[in-house]
Amino acid sequence: MTTMIEISNIDVAYGKVPVLSDVSLTVAKGEIVTLIGANGAGKTTLFRALTGVLPKSRGSIVLDGKDITRMKPDRVAREGLAVVPEGRRLFGPMSVLDNLMLGSFLRLTGQGKGAVNEDLDMVFDLFPRLAERREQLARTLSGGEQQMVAISRALMARPKVILMDEPSIGLAPIIVREVFDVIRKLKESGITILLIEQNARMALKVADRAYVMEIGRITAEGDAGDLRQSDIIRKLYLAA
Amino acid sequence: MFDTYMKDMNRLVWLPVSAGVLALPLLLGDGYYLNVLNFIALYSMIAIGLCLLIGYCGQLSISHSAFFAIGAYSSAILSLRFGFHPFVAILISQLISAVLALGIGSVVLRLKGHYLAIATLSFTIIVEVIIVEAAWVTGGLQGLSGIPPLSLGSMELDTDLGVYYVVWPVLLLLLLFALNLIDSRFGRVIKGIRENEDVMRLFGVGVYGYKVKVFVLSSVYASIAGSLYAHFIGFVSPSAASLSFAIDIIMVLAFGGFNLIWGAMLGAAAITYLTEYLTDFADFKRVAFGVALVVVMIIFPSGLLPGLQRWLKAGRRAPTGAQR
Ligand SMILES: Nc1ncnc2c1ncn2[C@@H]1O[C@H](COP(=O)(O)OP(=O)(O)O)[C@@H](O)[C@H]1O
Ligand SMILES: [Mg+2]
Repeated sequence: MTTMIEISNIDVAYGKVPVLSDVSLTVAKGEIVTLIGANGAGKTTLFRALTGVLPKSRGSIVLDGKDITRMKPDRVAREGLAVVPEGRRLFGPMSVLDNLMLGSFLRLTGQGKGAVNEDLDMVFDLFPRLAERREQLARTLSGGEQQMVAISRALMARPKVILMDEPSIGLAPIIVREVFDVIRKLKESGITILLIEQNARMALKVADRAYVMEIGRITAEGDAGDLRQSDIIRKLYLAA
Repeated sequence: MFDTYMKDMNRLVWLPVSAGVLALPLLLGDGYYLNVLNFIALYSMIAIGLCLLIGYCGQLSISHSAFFAIGAYSSAILSLRFGFHPFVAILISQLISAVLALGIGSVVLRLKGHYLAIATLSFTIIVEVIIVEAAWVTGGLQGLSGIPPLSLGSMELDTDLGVYYVVWPVLLLLLLFALNLIDSRFGRVIKGIRENEDVMRLFGVGVYGYKVKVFVLSSVYASIAGSLYAHFIGFVSPSAASLSFAIDIIMVLAFGGFNLIWGAMLGAAAITYLTEYLTDFADFKRVAFGVALVVVMIIFPSGLLPGLQRWLKAGRRAPTGAQR
């Protein structure tokens, strides 16, 4: 199996304050890997390190065979990493369609309009509700719908890997289930996903493999099914 | 909803507006009102350019009087001292402004928010100082007078009517270009940068390059207005580059609504009209501007045009709060 993401022994700091130390993680093609951890564990910091927002003081990151350790965010995106950021970060006063089209920024330059229209059909197939609301302003959608737009926007980039940061945060339980159903569907279509979550229960159900992060370190890793049974997770459940 | 509504409206409205503008003098004849309209056109050019930069791309710049002045002085110097035909002088001036804007923009657009505002403001002050000090080319505080009027062949367009048929067609083309731009892919990207440039980077957008492009474009809009003004009035002075003029233009935008091209034009009309109306009151003008602006901001916090639109629509259905 080809390795899509290979993070090797990275250290990351905010200025002089170290947050991640010696973090290693791999994601194979077609796999869903989840990174779980309590609030403040350093999950979003890893998101920023991976996307090129934060520099790495040690270690390396390779995306589909290419070293992206020192690349800026727009370059990393060009290498095929798309994101669903924490808190969704939609373009609020713009339409759903505009949000999706911004997701395909690189596709438009590379593949042109025809390819992007096909991607749109694909996304609207997946989320018929968004098709109805394509002209609606993103900020007027419900939380669940906004999350669907955020996921679709990432899909529109036709990336090699999608990186999601807590897609279930702040959503009602029933909507959370919907979001995870979508992730399961994406998995069936063969998309590679690195899923950052606090909701260990749900994340471990969809993932193939999992990593547990505690105060900036990976403290456990393994098969998602195995980890569900382990003590570490029971401890996390109580903490969350 | 509002987005597509505006897209269709823009295309639908531009043509009749243009036809109306071009037919107006035929219906009303020559008159002083044309002089006022000519000023409205010049103000509108600067305001539309600034609207692209501030309203659509979210980059607060206070350097538009500087580029107005650069356009005006370049045109004046090229035609006065080097004998270029006014239209050629105007074209070369835009090249000069574009190159300067590229240089300045490349530096200042590494900054954001307040820092960007301060940097562009400093640039404006520097330009004004240079114009005053470099008296051997710019005429210093006296400015430059006797700038040749626009002309077509042997016909000099030195009447209000003649100028009208230069500045308004130019404005309408600049308007059309801006309207098409904001509905294009480029427009979508700059709106995205306004909303969240960090997310745009995560989707592969070279944000800085886009900002520089909009800055150059927007500066050239101001510079075109400056060049036309120089030949229209026949005289330029350092006040063209003044900070108070820069602030007037920002007021125009605040008046019309920062992120609507048509709003920029409405604001330009309102401010020009007020200026005319208050001309007897000299310094009181600025106070009246301020008061008018505060009143507009209180009644219509998003500007005159979006406010009026919402107000008109409110009768039919609940306001959506939609704006661009
Ligand atoms: N911008 C920042 N500057 C300094 N410290 C930060 C910043 N963002 C997060 N941190 C710190 O880094 C640690 C990890 O935060 P974060 O990665 O956001 O955790 P998580 O996403 O797992 O909740 C926390 O101690 C937090 O206070
Ligand atoms: Mg987080």
